[in-house]
Parts: sequence; C-alpha cells; structure tokens
Amino acid sequence: MTDIGLKAIGAGLAIISAGASSIGEGNLVAKAIEGMARNPEMYGKLRSSMIIGCALVETCGIYSLLISILILFVL
Amino acid sequence: MEKYSDPNIFKSFNPSGEIIIGLAIALLLIVLAIIVGILAKRADPLKPSKGLLKLAEWAVEKLDAFTADTMGAGFENFGGILLGIVPFLFLSFTIGITGLPTPMNNLAVPLSLALVTFILIHATSVRYTKWCYFKRFVDPIPIFLPMNLMSMWAPLLSMTLRMFGNAMAGWILISLINTSLESISASLFSFMGSGVSSIWFVPIVTPVLHAYFDLFSGFIQTLVFVYLTAERPEDLEKETVYVSRKEAM
Repeated sequence: MTDIGLKAIGAGLAIISAGASSIGEGNLVAKAIEGMARNPEMYGKLRSSMIIGCALVETCGIYSLLISILILFVL
Repeated sequence: MEKYSDPNIFKSFNPSGEIIIGLAIALLLIVLAIIVGILAKRADPLKPSKGLLKLAEWAVEKLDAFTADTMGAGFENFGGILLGIVPFLFLSFTIGITGLPTPMNNLAVPLSLALVTFILIHATSVRYTKWCYFKRFVDPIPIFLPMNLMSMWAPLLSMTLRMFGNAMAGWILISLINTSLESISASLFSFMGSGVSSIWFVPIVTPVLHAYFDLFSGFIQTLVFVYLTAERPEDLEKETVYVSRKEAM
C-alpha cells in the first residue's frame, strides 16, 4: 500500500462527517417548512433563520472538507 | 535595521493574484463611494433621484431597515459598516464568474474580514457594558477562565473557515469538473487536432456551476456574514439590560 493510497483513504474517512452534517441540515429544513405550513404569516422570519441555521450547520461539513483537502494536498 | 534601508524591499513585495483582486475591488468601491458622495451633495432634494444615487439610496434604506429590524434600538449606526462590508463580500465571492481569481481563496482575506467583525463586536461590547465586559470571562465560576479565553476565539475561526471553505470548495469542484470534461472532450474529438479538441464540453457545463458556486453560494455567505455581524450583540443587549437593572436597584 503506497502513501498516496493511505492519504486517499484518510481523506475519504474525513469527509464522512459531511453526511452527518447534511442529515442535520435536512432535519432543519423539514422542521422549518413544517412551521411555515402551520403558520404562514411567519414565513419571512422562519426563512431567514432557516438560512442562518443551514449555514451554521454547514460549517461542520466544510471543516471536514477542509481537513480532507489538507490531507490530500498538504500532508 | 539593514533590512529596512534596502532599496529593493519594495521589489520583493510580491502579492498573489487574489490579494491584488481584493485590493482592486476595495479601490473600486472606494471610488464608487466618493462618486456617490459627490452626487448626493449636488443633488436637489426636491426632485426624485435617479441612476447611481437612486441605487445607493435604495441600499442605504434597505440596510438601515435591516439593522433596525435585527439589532433593535440603540444600534442604528451599524448600518454604515454593513454597507461597507456587503458589496465587498458579494463582489469578492462573485468575481470568479469573470475568470479572475476569487479573493476568498486566499486565507488572508476572509481572516481579515472576520477580524473586522470580531474587533467590532468586542469593541461594541466594551463600549456598552463597560467593566461588566470582563465578567463574561469568569462566567459561572472563576475556574472557567481558561476555557472562556479559549472559546473567545472560536467565532473568529468559524467565520474565517466558513467563507474560505465555501469559496475553496466551489473553486476546487469547478476546476475538477472542468479538467475531467476537457480530457473527455479531448479523447472524443481527437480527430480535430490537439488545439481545438478539448473545448467542446466545458462551456456548456461551466455556467451552471458558476451560477451555483459563485452567485448563489456567494449570496448566501454574504447574508450569513451580515446576519452573524448583526446578531452577535443580542447577548450584549441582555448584558446591558442586566447592567441597567442592577444600576436601578
């Protein structure tokens, strides 16, 4: 097994956490849309807080992406 | 000292393309701001404004309304810094459409932008809560001091890495797809010769990728940065209420 192969395995393992992050994001959007359907006059506020929440949740996925990029190109 | 008296020191200043583009965007926005300022001074307040001045008025109105809506009373003067940050952020995210290097791909640019927000938040906190600002470091009990000192830097890190990671991920994905499409096209149309065989698929796919990764992602990131800048003083407000309540007692 070469060094590059091990690096690729490490990068692939690091990106797994993006899956967990996207599950969380899906939950967030589902709940937000549920709230919007129950309470349509809150649409604007719910949408803006949903976008912020999505970005905050997405950060974890971006961290894992950065780590895998670092493993591939810097290590 | 010898290093500083060297006349060749300015020749060794060799910034990367991202930094140059970032500075160019900043310069462009400064020139635009000066032009808008001159126009606004000369404008007749009785007539409806038009052109650039109307755009500027619209932006100021929107951001002032946004600031009053999110930050509440007492923070109205924050609209100015938001109006300074928003065009720079949006332009530096979306400049990738033109083919120029995106300034966000250099870690120095998002770090300095996040540092601006970080310093702004802490300076505002000191200004509004005075000595009670230091109470947040010993929040429940004094043993938490090292942990609080560490966690103070977390927002800076997360803000920097969020912008950098988003721009970098888009850039890497676009260049990956472009490279693979180039090689597919080169192998399919190899009868045309080496010069023109590799250009047939990339222009069809690239606009979609740029629209998502540059325009949409840039818009969302700008929105999030502005929201985070505007939302932070909310716990500050609680502290202020706490302080004023204590003073009233």
